[in-house]
Amino acid sequence: MNVGFIGLGLMGRPMALHLEKAGHTLHLWARRPESLAPFAAVNAKTYATPAQVAANAEVVIVMVADAPDVEKVCLGADGLAAGAALRTEAGLIVVDMSTINPNAARSIGLRLAEKGIAFVDAPVSGGEMGAINAALTIMVGGTPEAFEKVKPLLEKMGKSVTLIGASGAGQVAKACNQILTGVGVMAVAEAFNFAAKSGVDPAKVREALLGGFAYSKILENHGQRMLDRNFKPGFKAWMHQKDLRIVMEEAHRMGLMLPSAAATAQVFNAIVGSGMGENDSITALQLLEKMSTPEGK
Amino acid sequence: MSMKIGFIGFGTMGQPMAEHLLKAGHELRVWSRRAASADFAVALGAVRCASVKDTAAGSEIVCTNVTGSADVEGLATELRAGFAPGATHLDFSTIAPGAARAIAARHRECGVDFVDAPVSGGGAGARNATLAIMWGGREELGTRLAPIFSVLGKSAVRIGEAGAGQVAKACNQMILVNLIEACAEAALLADAAGVDFRLVREAMLGGSAGSRALEVFGGRMATRDFAAGVEARLHHKDYALLMDEATRIGAPLPVAAAVWQQLNALMAAGRGRDDTSSLLRVLEGAARTRADG
Repeated sequence: MNVGFIGLGLMGRPMALHLEKAGHTLHLWARRPESLAPFAAVNAKTYATPAQVAANAEVVIVMVADAPDVEKVCLGADGLAAGAALRTEAGLIVVDMSTINPNAARSIGLRLAEKGIAFVDAPVSGGEMGAINAALTIMVGGTPEAFEKVKPLLEKMGKSVTLIGASGAGQVAKACNQILTGVGVMAVAEAFNFAAKSGVDPAKVREALLGGFAYSKILENHGQRMLDRNFKPGFKAWMHQKDLRIVMEEAHRMGLMLPSAAATAQVFNAIVGSGMGENDSITALQLLEKMSTPEGK
Repeated sequence: MSMKIGFIGFGTMGQPMAEHLLKAGHELRVWSRRAASADFAVALGAVRCASVKDTAAGSEIVCTNVTGSADVEGLATELRAGFAPGATHLDFSTIAPGAARAIAARHRECGVDFVDAPVSGGGAGARNATLAIMWGGREELGTRLAPIFSVLGKSAVRIGEAGAGQVAKACNQMILVNLIEACAEAALLADAAGVDFRLVREAMLGGSAGSRALEVFGGRMATRDFAAGVEARLHHKDYALLMDEATRIGAPLPVAAAVWQQLNALMAAGRGRDDTSSLLRVLEGAARTRADG
């Protein structure tokens, strides 16, 4: 299949390469030309604008930072919508795998539909390792018809691909995922700090808890990295802050109380504000430790 | 000295403010989306303008007093088409600090000053000309703006450059609504303990916990008079601005974040047009201590 791919960063690059390995032809555009270098030796064509990608591909995958970037790639000057007009056949599908506000996704979807373009939101969970190992969890919002067409592509990048509902539903699922992982990381960090300050070995606590009702993947994996003092990302804290901002914006729009997520978002504000945003989100533990120690020590 | 002042936005705040400027002898030029909203000003001698652009064209200063960032941005664009270089756009609305800075930058390219001057004091403060005005903009503008500020409020403090007034307003709203929530929690605690909150409040007003919030909003809680006052939806809107700015700059605001969620619950309960003292009823909903809601 002719597959467009825009957004070749930490996540996008390995994801695009999986598609190429599966025999698809890549059609690429990148804001920074150096992002195209890893694709020089593979079956990939490069273009000067997103519009040209849309003119040459059946499906275009977008993997960028935030809603304004998705909006610009899709609907800006020389964007995908402008390119759809140059196509000989109808039926372009845009698959946005970025994490953005669900309401923004619905709005972009509606405006693309007016131009005859199907829009699917398909945000992912699993981080850079998940992208490299094609082991992402992919949460999809869109029509069943569009989902069936893009599913074989998504399955080359992820190990779990689920249609959640209509346009925007994938982003709602991702927001739920970020509530659980954000609050979950905080819960583990608080428990470990509580244990350590009580003079108890957090490693033993983790080991004991893994067999009980408090078991979670976060306790297992993130917990182990906390014990190893390995704060390298992974999933960067500033990205978690951004995702929680989306969650809280939506909660505000709907008038929905999310007390735990709100408290967690403030911890991530403190992490970013104190210059720890490039660390993995488990750096929350370091913030708690700092705040449980007399100043100057 | 009389100035030619444009004025747009005649809500609860804007109408009495425009009246004060007219009564102080300024030449007011008004425009309103719904013409009827400006009738009172025309009756007092104001000149009705045909458009936003037209309002800007004949005025040294144009005041705007509307609801959201998008409203001010829209007006700012239309005003720029009419402003003569050297004019000043004085905005009393409560908007995002980032939006205020962006408008100021675009105005500057046209040689126009933007001043953000959000106010505190509510409808009563506007009517009695006792507003607290916090403004951001070039220091040199102080002399020019002083005659306007002095007829509208009892204090006007320059906080810093454009956008700084909105930062001050965000701080103001955070302290106020966090305190309203504290009053509500105190009222709930007193009530649940079988103690009369009216007496608790009365006792506290003279002590270290005394505050305007306890006086005004605590008073409404004590008498269970939840009619606005200040519509809670407006405080809810302010919290979105405040928390968004906190996220942008990486500032942890744990208490404000918790209060924000109580405001979300208030909105969900359909109480957005009631007074913010309704935060007490959100707590009662969670505690189920009262049946009369």
